[in-house]
Amino acid sequence: MKNPVIEFHDFGFRYASQSEPTLHGINLTIYEGEKVLILGPSGSGKSTLANCINGLIPFSFKGESTGEVKVAGMDTRHAGIFSLSKHVGTVLQDSDAQFVALSVGEDIAFALENQAVKRSMMIPQVIAAASIVGMQDFLNHVPYALSGGQKQKVSLAGVLHEHVDIVLFDEPLASLDPKAGMHAVELIDDIHAQGKTVVIIEHRLEDVLHREVDRILVMDEGRIVFDGDADTLLCGKLLPEIGIREPLFITQMHHAGCVLHADDHPSSVTRFNLDPYRASLLNFIQTEIQPKAHYPGEVLIEATNVRFSYDTQEAIKNISFQVRKGEKIAFIGKNGAGKSTMAKLLCGIVRPDHGNITFQKTDLKSWSIREIGEKIGFVMQNPNQMLVKNIIKDEVAFALTLRNLPQQEIDERVQHALTVCGLWPMRNWPVSAVSYGQRKRITVAAMLALDTEVLILDEPTAGQDYRHYTEIMDFLDDLNRQTGITIIFITHDMHLAIEYTDRAIVFADGEKIADDLVVEVLSDNEIIQKANLKQTSLYTLAMRLGLPPETLVDHFIGHEREVKTHE
Amino acid sequence: MSKRIFINIVPGKTFLHKLSGKTKVGLFIVCIVYTIMSFDLRLLAPLMFLSLIAIVSLKPDWKVIIVLFIAIFLMNFFNIFLYWVVKPDIGSEWTGGTSTILYSFSSYYFVSLETLWYLLVRLFKMLTSFTVSMAFILSITPSELASGLHGLGVPYKICTVVSLAFRYIPDISRDYENIKVSMQARGVEMDLRKTPILKRLKQTIYILFPLIITSFDRIGNIANALDLRGYGLKKDRTYYAEVEPTLMDKLFRWSTLALFLFCLAWIVSRNIWEPATKMWFPFEV
Repeated sequence: MKNPVIEFHDFGFRYASQSEPTLHGINLTIYEGEKVLILGPSGSGKSTLANCINGLIPFSFKGESTGEVKVAGMDTRHAGIFSLSKHVGTVLQDSDAQFVALSVGEDIAFALENQAVKRSMMIPQVIAAASIVGMQDFLNHVPYALSGGQKQKVSLAGVLHEHVDIVLFDEPLASLDPKAGMHAVELIDDIHAQGKTVVIIEHRLEDVLHREVDRILVMDEGRIVFDGDADTLLCGKLLPEIGIREPLFITQMHHAGCVLHADDHPSSVTRFNLDPYRASLLNFIQTEIQPKAHYPGEVLIEATNVRFSYDTQEAIKNISFQVRKGEKIAFIGKNGAGKSTMAKLLCGIVRPDHGNITFQKTDLKSWSIREIGEKIGFVMQNPNQMLVKNIIKDEVAFALTLRNLPQQEIDERVQHALTVCGLWPMRNWPVSAVSYGQRKRITVAAMLALDTEVLILDEPTAGQDYRHYTEIMDFLDDLNRQTGITIIFITHDMHLAIEYTDRAIVFADGEKIADDLVVEVLSDNEIIQKANLKQTSLYTLAMRLGLPPETLVDHFIGHEREVKTHE
Repeated sequence: MSKRIFINIVPGKTFLHKLSGKTKVGLFIVCIVYTIMSFDLRLLAPLMFLSLIAIVSLKPDWKVIIVLFIAIFLMNFFNIFLYWVVKPDIGSEWTGGTSTILYSFSSYYFVSLETLWYLLVRLFKMLTSFTVSMAFILSITPSELASGLHGLGVPYKICTVVSLAFRYIPDISRDYENIKVSMQARGVEMDLRKTPILKRLKQTIYILFPLIITSFDRIGNIANALDLRGYGLKKDRTYYAEVEPTLMDKLFRWSTLALFLFCLAWIVSRNIWEPATKMWFPFEV
């Protein structure tokens, strides 16, 4: 029998600032060398649970607890965060905040510095830790020159010291693109293979399941509602109920009416025994799907041979494309591929070095940023970076007031925008009182009030769980249907592109490598490889069934659409 | 980012870069004391010469430095000009009371050798403190600065504030740029030519408000990151950036000590023991 390293007994916790407990009656034992995934939607208490393991509770977050927690044999209430940090290494979600030093080597050394380890003893340990994560050649690099994935590797190396035997990952995939996320999952698996106990807090189930986990704990409303293996979990109905997204291929199986059995290993798309289900899947793709309604509106935006460089680095290499009225387009590509730069060019934040961009045949060159802003609205990833007023309706009226419109017109436009966004009843609420998703709506409403014809959204769902993701995306989808507004999504989320867009423009190294229907783009392995993106599990499923991937993807989208219209 | 503020974050490869943080910080402090205490060209000129050599040896990006040097020079030149305007015979007080008039505009406004000398020394003093600081800034990384300060007895929590500031300033300035752009797109006019300065100042709040909110989020995360890695655990802490002292470091540290003793002797003898009322003036009659 293995040693228990983390033990919760009838544990409950209430934050000092809240009236209701966040965790109730947690009983949980994690054994040495296990790899455990703690799954749950936002607000389910999974991060609180993690903070109880690493000692941030009760060290930084005060509150009232009941029952007991033992980590590495110590009671966390008495052991203190410092003794715990020698046994538990935590990799935070925000790898930018965790990178506190000015170079890779220095950051990995940070914990050793705090223990006043002599420099001569520190250097070999830093090199050893850096080698585990493959960053040994980057010791002199500054944080600004690293990608999100690299920063996370440094964070991991920074907690891998000799005594650390439990590694806790708090939403490790939240700020990574899919390919980097895949590498992160592989790296976590390597750490586990070296004998560490690994606890992963995540809501992106499919990405974590890229490598096997020993056990999954599902949390909802402060309780553990499932404790078992991945296969059993996927056969049940729990995930959709609590708002966790199932792997895409599992959803597909459910669409096809398959009843899954744990013995067939549904947790891995590559090892899954498909034989019992083949017939119903083949049957499923024979069904007729309604062809997607397509309305080719007038051309709104046209980019012709656009080139742009930052200093000496060419960010956009000779790109041309059109955007038609009412379209939903995804700009996809990994971080740094040029998709955000292209969006900045469309908004006039930066201007092309060569070529031109027109809006309804007028060259954008002749407009100021402010004038372009009345046609093309840009919604930043983090709504907190856009909100300046205290009250919701003032926020939406902000840009109109700056333009000195008559008060009556401002009121009308604000009312219209807030109504469309479903915020009218909350118009007098303070911005700080509403949720993240609602703040996102406020930023969208602010753009609508300006009568923008195109919305560009930068990673609209980054860091959101499935419930909020669906909420934001369905809202935008309805908006597009009701008002005919054109929407461009900047994303690396293939699921988003599949479900909510018509057309995808794929960027890689500043070039446009594809511009086609989403189905076509995602079924083309060459494009996905070239863009350094991650293939969806639907593709893998199609390959294993020996079917053309576009047929499967097409039926998937068709079915989703039907389900949605029936709701 | 680091290009724009010309601070090194990665340690450089020249002789001075390779000295340890403690050596560089110590030498800099003593040099500044030396500059402040001396109002004597015999002391200032050699230091300025040495610090210029130091700057050259650091192989800096001259474009930025020359622009800065010219700006500092003009500012100080204007400064000493004002000295002259206010008190054309200011030099006489310091050189022994004589006024060797070289040119006179009126009975009040004249150019005397003594005043010229006095103002020259003043200009030299300002420029020396500039070249010394420049050599220091170019030779050190923020991490070395933190470790060097700690090596000289400054509590490490203060040193961490210094290095964290350097770490996050570029992040915050990136946030600032992003917010500014989104505000411009929403119609806040920030064009220098189109907006009066008062209005622009007022509009800064539209950037600062979201910036502060976003920064607070970050501060909480950073604090947790520090706690989780045992920051503040012990009374003392070591530094990865503090390289082991080499022979050169020892040589420099001894020289620093010697210079420090000289400063001490100078201050005691000239300012406390028998306060000097006159500056060195080679043309004394």
